[in-house]
Amino acid sequence: MAEHYSSFQRGGVRWLIQRVTAAFLVVVLAFHFFLLHFVHHADEVTFGMTSARMQELTYFSLMVLFLVTATFHGVNGVYNALINQGLAGIQKRVVQGVLIIASALLIVQGLRTAVVWAGGIPI
Amino acid sequence: MSQSYDRGLIEDFGRWREFSAGMWAWIFHKFTGWVLVGYLFTHIAVLSTALQSPEAYTTTIQSLESLLIVRLLEVGLLAVAVFHILNGVRLLFIDLGIGLEAQDRSFYASLILTGAIVVASVPTFLAGVFG
Repeated sequence: MAEHYSSFQRGGVRWLIQRVTAAFLVVVLAFHFFLLHFVHHADEVTFGMTSARMQELTYFSLMVLFLVTATFHGVNGVYNALINQGLAGIQKRVVQGVLIIASALLIVQGLRTAVVWAGGIPI
Repeated sequence: MSQSYDRGLIEDFGRWREFSAGMWAWIFHKFTGWVLVGYLFTHIAVLSTALQSPEAYTTTIQSLESLLIVRLLEVGLLAVAVFHILNGVRLLFIDLGIGLEAQDRSFYASLILTGAIVVASVPTFLAGVFG
């Protein structure tokens, strides 16, 4: 029995980023749900309301960071799950490529939408 | 002393009757993770209607929110997200070396708290959908 358990592997940068993004997402995902379902109700959402929030630099940058961290955390989690299932060799390389492209497309699409809401980058 | 051994393929779901609380926590975390990442892509696709026009975005969101099935799916999404958050906090503590000896109890606590939060949120999530 280990005296001190940790799944940390030395040199495991993806492991560390997965934990750092997790700690960030715990707070921001809870905030996101609370704001858009309890403070405002989802059926009251309009382009104007979303746009007003996104024109604030603080909110805009928080949502951009949310998009990037959630994409990394989710896609890296999928990759890890597939490796646990025995993914290896050429299949591993192909899946890696597909996930990287999918992540890039998701982030670009999210950023385009964010910029439209904010009417440009709110600096 | 820590020990290392070849545990073979980790996800051998055929042995589910033998699974302990920790294994169920691990499976639920994976399952909720898959749902959340799937939802992330769907969510960005729906929000992208803002690229067409402001009206297209508002109409899309409000049309979806008028459907009972969408509201019920949102309750399901809340359950998935809350469990993933609570169990994620549990995992972060365990990785910091805190609470390993109580990891089964903290899993049960995550389940009970998820259930309580979801039940308490149902009225808010279904508000206005019946007319």
